[in-house]
Amino acid sequence: MSIFKKEKGTRNYLTNKEIKAIAKSNAQEMKRLEAYKNRKCEESEFLTEMKNPENILEIEDLHTSFFTEQGVVKAVNGVSYDVPKNAVVGVVGESGCGKSVTSMSVMRLIQGPTGQIVDGSIRFKSHEYKRNEKGEPILKAGSTTEYEMVDKVYDIAKMPIHEIHRIRGKQIAMIFQEPMTSLNPVFTIGEQLDEVTFFHIPGATKEMAKAKSEEMLRLVGIIPENVYGAFPHELSGGMRQRVMIAMALAAEPRLIIADEPTTALDVTIQAQILDLLQDIKNKIDGSILLITHDLGVIAEMADYVVVMYAGKVIEKGTVYEIFQDPKHPYTIGLQKSKPTMNLDDGTELYNIPGNVPNPINMPGYCYFKERCAMCTRKCSGDYPGMVQVSPTHFVACHLYDEEKNNG
Amino acid sequence: MADTKENVTPVYDDAALAAEYLAKRQARIEEDLKQPFDPDCILEVRHLRKCFPMKKTFTGKVTRELVAVDDVSFKLKSGETLGIVGESGCGKTTTGRAILKLHEPSGGQIIFNGQDITHFDSKQMRQIRKEMQIIFQDPYSSLPPRDTVGGILSEPVEVHGIVPKDQVKDYVLELMEKCGLRDYYFERYPHEFSGGQRQRICIARALSVNPKLVICDEPVSALDVSIQAQIINLLKKLQRDMNLAYVFISHDLSVVKFISDKILVMYLGAVMEFGTKEDIFRSPLHPYTKALFSAVPNPDPTAKTERIKLEGDIPSPANPPKGCRFHTRCPYAKEICKHVTPEYRQYGEGHFAACHLLEQE
Repeated sequence: MSIFKKEKGTRNYLTNKEIKAIAKSNAQEMKRLEAYKNRKCEESEFLTEMKNPENILEIEDLHTSFFTEQGVVKAVNGVSYDVPKNAVVGVVGESGCGKSVTSMSVMRLIQGPTGQIVDGSIRFKSHEYKRNEKGEPILKAGSTTEYEMVDKVYDIAKMPIHEIHRIRGKQIAMIFQEPMTSLNPVFTIGEQLDEVTFFHIPGATKEMAKAKSEEMLRLVGIIPENVYGAFPHELSGGMRQRVMIAMALAAEPRLIIADEPTTALDVTIQAQILDLLQDIKNKIDGSILLITHDLGVIAEMADYVVVMYAGKVIEKGTVYEIFQDPKHPYTIGLQKSKPTMNLDDGTELYNIPGNVPNPINMPGYCYFKERCAMCTRKCSGDYPGMVQVSPTHFVACHLYDEEKNNG
Repeated sequence: MADTKENVTPVYDDAALAAEYLAKRQARIEEDLKQPFDPDCILEVRHLRKCFPMKKTFTGKVTRELVAVDDVSFKLKSGETLGIVGESGCGKTTTGRAILKLHEPSGGQIIFNGQDITHFDSKQMRQIRKEMQIIFQDPYSSLPPRDTVGGILSEPVEVHGIVPKDQVKDYVLELMEKCGLRDYYFERYPHEFSGGQRQRICIARALSVNPKLVICDEPVSALDVSIQAQIINLLKKLQRDMNLAYVFISHDLSVVKFISDKILVMYLGAVMEFGTKEDIFRSPLHPYTKALFSAVPNPDPTAKTERIKLEGDIPSPANPPKGCRFHTRCPYAKEICKHVTPEYRQYGEGHFAACHLLEQE
């Protein structure tokens, strides 16, 4: 039958020759990047300066790729955004848009050797113990428990992997989506919480660790007596997520990355956890990077919003700019396609046609062009650059190019 | 007089109250089950109950049961959608499956198309199956990986003899077009498709036998927002074209609100409130419904809604609280709620709820 014949040049498989070529180039790239990741170097090599001292995290032109058998997947393809001090930054996008991979890159948790940070920089302002030549923390003069602190700016993307423990868990903590798989089923909650203190606070004793763990549990609204000795399977989903938050807080981090913290929870429990996160942000005087696909959660929690699509940031701005004056057709469509709780929605939902393009062999033009209702002739050209529409509002779309030229 | 009445806390004898409640309910259920069937409705569920055994003795006698669905009743007409909402573990999926008799109901009646199918055996169900179908939540695990899309869609058509054998292919191609699938997908395998496309295949498979009723068990929960909108629109379009009745199960209130005509709110296996969409959303009666709606995050940063906070977790369905099931988390709970199970009563045209606070008013 003629309709089943494939069009010329649209085969959906790779030839043997192509697979071999991909494997060869992948092996070279992975070897190079893996060696860079495991290199030994002086601290000065990954020390840097913040562009804006008000920020706690600056991601600039980050590229993270996965070298798969089908080709290189550019999961994060030139992402830049900042996390200011004491702010909640929400990252929103559909699955596969690279929002989680960006946060994993910040934590350096990308699974090697297939996954590698290829290019870009992640600058993080760390507030840590001043250490002597042996690497031991220096006590404050005249004190036995307080240590001298120092501010340093690290480029996480350039750090060798064995140096990352300075930051991971201590300065930046992470709350994962699925609390059951992130907690260890064979240790009690208490043991897992104490470990954080042992690892990150020098000279911690058992009593200190327990006191700290109980304090953290109380902070997240759990009575420690019931939970400290319990195993993860004895707790409900909401309780587990609270324990995860307590664990993240135990080392007093300056930045918490919450990767879909409420996706696996029911709405009433979600409301509790969001309240808790908001509350904790005020208490610990830190920032939160909130990753979610739920626009409602973002609107309620975030101060700044980053919208990602197919590995790129397509729009960023304050929460009011993004929700009340969205510029990018994708952001507009995303908001319109979510049914609201109002009764007068009409009979049909707006929908963005089509699917996200294949992450291997991305086109040269705007990735959203094929699904866009407002695309013009210009959209077949280069990928649009970031256009500034207000001091805090940026958008990557050709529709706003002219405004930039005029202004 | 009023003062003394408030000061005296009534003493409740839990065992006696439970017995009284059960006896009363049993009598009501028996009376209801004798009523004639409603000829307008495609599906009528009366006092549906489903228990799962938790503990058995050596001889196989059940000593402890988990009541997953307790006394659920509703009516559904052709072309209508019933939304079932609730948190995880509230029995919404079990209800859906019990209607299809994928779980054997433990009590109550299921009347489909004027027939009482509650006690049909698998042979009799075979005839009914082509009139009631299900769409599952996860399109990744509900399609056979070794069969092509064409094979998946042709099989039910051939098994049920919907069209003569030589017309099956044309029929399937027409169906695929209706569901927004391109014709060259016919020879492809499920793994080649994205989640949204797979869900379209699942929908096409369910509709291939021309059903009258489709149970949609969280069909859009696993999908992204933009794809979700496509699937919801497709379901609505197909409902208009084929005059389908849907039972739409979801935990996403905004989606349920968009697609449903009637809404059933469940909590721990029991119905808390039932009514039309307008009733439930404009004037919710039950405190649980109110709390559930206020917990949904509002995608408008300027709107600051007062939230009814629910403390604590959902109790285990294996050991539900005595009295009103919701009293452990209810912000307005009174003494009576802890002991007496509230009756499921009508408050206004087609609007039912089970709450003591309403009874007192």
